[in-house]
Amino acid sequence: MVPRRLSLIVVCLPAFLAAQERTTVGGYGEIHYTNRSGPNSPGQVNLTRFVLYLAHTFDDRLAFRSELEVEDAKLESGEPGGEVALEQAYLDYRLSEYLTLRSGLVLPPVGIINETHEPPTFNGVDRPAFDRDVIPTTWREIGVGAVGSVPAVAGLGYRLYLVNGLKAEGFSAEQGIREGRQEGKEASFANPSLTGRLEWARPGLKVGGSFWYGGTANQDSVLGKGTFAAPVTLVSADARYEVGGIMFRGVVARISVSDAQAIDARYGGTVGSRIAGGYVEAAYNLLRPLAPASSQRLYAFVRHERYDTQASVPVGIAKNDSLARRITTIGLSYKPTYNTVFKGDYQLLRNKARVGEAEVLSLGLGYQF
Amino acid sequence: MTAPRLPVAALALLLAAFPSRAATAQAAPPAKLAASIRRLFGPGARVDTLRVDSAAVLRLSRGDSLLGFAEVGNVIGKDQPITFLVAVDPADRLKDVDILVYREPYGGEVAYEPWRRQFRGKTAADPIAVGRDIRSISGATISVQAVTAGVRRILADLTAWHQRGAIR
Repeated sequence: MVPRRLSLIVVCLPAFLAAQERTTVGGYGEIHYTNRSGPNSPGQVNLTRFVLYLAHTFDDRLAFRSELEVEDAKLESGEPGGEVALEQAYLDYRLSEYLTLRSGLVLPPVGIINETHEPPTFNGVDRPAFDRDVIPTTWREIGVGAVGSVPAVAGLGYRLYLVNGLKAEGFSAEQGIREGRQEGKEASFANPSLTGRLEWARPGLKVGGSFWYGGTANQDSVLGKGTFAAPVTLVSADARYEVGGIMFRGVVARISVSDAQAIDARYGGTVGSRIAGGYVEAAYNLLRPLAPASSQRLYAFVRHERYDTQASVPVGIAKNDSLARRITTIGLSYKPTYNTVFKGDYQLLRNKARVGEAEVLSLGLGYQF
Repeated sequence: MTAPRLPVAALALLLAAFPSRAATAQAAPPAKLAASIRRLFGPGARVDTLRVDSAAVLRLSRGDSLLGFAEVGNVIGKDQPITFLVAVDPADRLKDVDILVYREPYGGEVAYEPWRRQFRGKTAADPIAVGRDIRSISGATISVQAVTAGVRRILADLTAWHQRGAIR
């Protein structure tokens, strides 16, 4: 009797085990109010990001994932601002928990915000300025790589990609390597670059280390034809820790542009040969003592950023002290659910030269699903 | 007479591998489920499948003594089902949570033992809520929230069924 029932089950099995093809829609977004000029003049409101997440699972191993972003609500020819862009678009082929092969437009796994950038995941209306001027979020390039967990070491994960390189032509004194990104648009593959990350997780704790290494010359006759001509080396470390309603996070990064002198000579800029800095942030959930049973959160936070996109300059370039930035942000994040947030903060934008300093009030809302 | 027992156990595992709550039902690989049961209840435990409401509950016993119950559940993470097992002892205390299949590119940290360990010893009277008695993992928030809610629901169901005698 049992064998007959068993065989029936076995016959049914393949149909049951066949993976269901499925398409998933998700998204995230944020709307900001910003006042840079004080109470006597109007602020500005902006639909900063509207991102659609679209994924499809083909079978147990193969899945496609993408994020399509509209920035600043619309884009009209002849007007500044506005962008429609793919932030991610890749195929994953999962061989095991230790190895998933990934190919397509991917996020270099550097720092905290570049990979985890949904507004409810970070404090402050805007992303940290460090994650704009030093780590150029949202950084995405086309390539192939592998992600997974490291066997036999509980909690240790890795990602390693080979992607198209940066272009030195876009580097600047103010924003370092930011405009050297190619972002998947007819990108030159003259300088394939390596990027990767190791991260270790425990409940409440995550620490990670990331790198990027690659040439930036794009076969320029002055900078060099080699794959690794005019190399950029980035190393970064980050940590996030939560305990009893308190959250800490911090990131440091150092970028070496070893041929900055040649790059500056070639393109007439004043790109630093070293770009460095970081930030620390502490937050406390005020609802923890006030309403311990609530799943809502109200974080009060303070963040201090210090970075310099000209931490070192090549011989012959005058250092601009206004690029040595010191930014302090204090604010509140109210999260009715873990994936929605209302934010407010006040920023003191300072620099070593004390030129063009400002104070900015921002309000915002964000969501992800 | 151990020979007939093996197919019965295998059959029970196969049945339970197709969980309940069909909307997001995903199969758990029988070998993985069997290994998880063996780890949690020791080798050679007798496995029976009980149907309660639309759920399949595994009853684990050895000889005359009840070892506990287990149920396979599915929750949706960012876009994929996460298939997990919740095991309880005869006193309705949570023995352990096992992640049987994780399919997403991020958030796989929920399978790590140091995170799952937090659930051990919980009862249906505990909050089992992220930020209260369960700590989150940065970068894995969606999976952490989903699995925690799934464990809370299954533990509540198993406890209620056991206490009203629907499973025993």
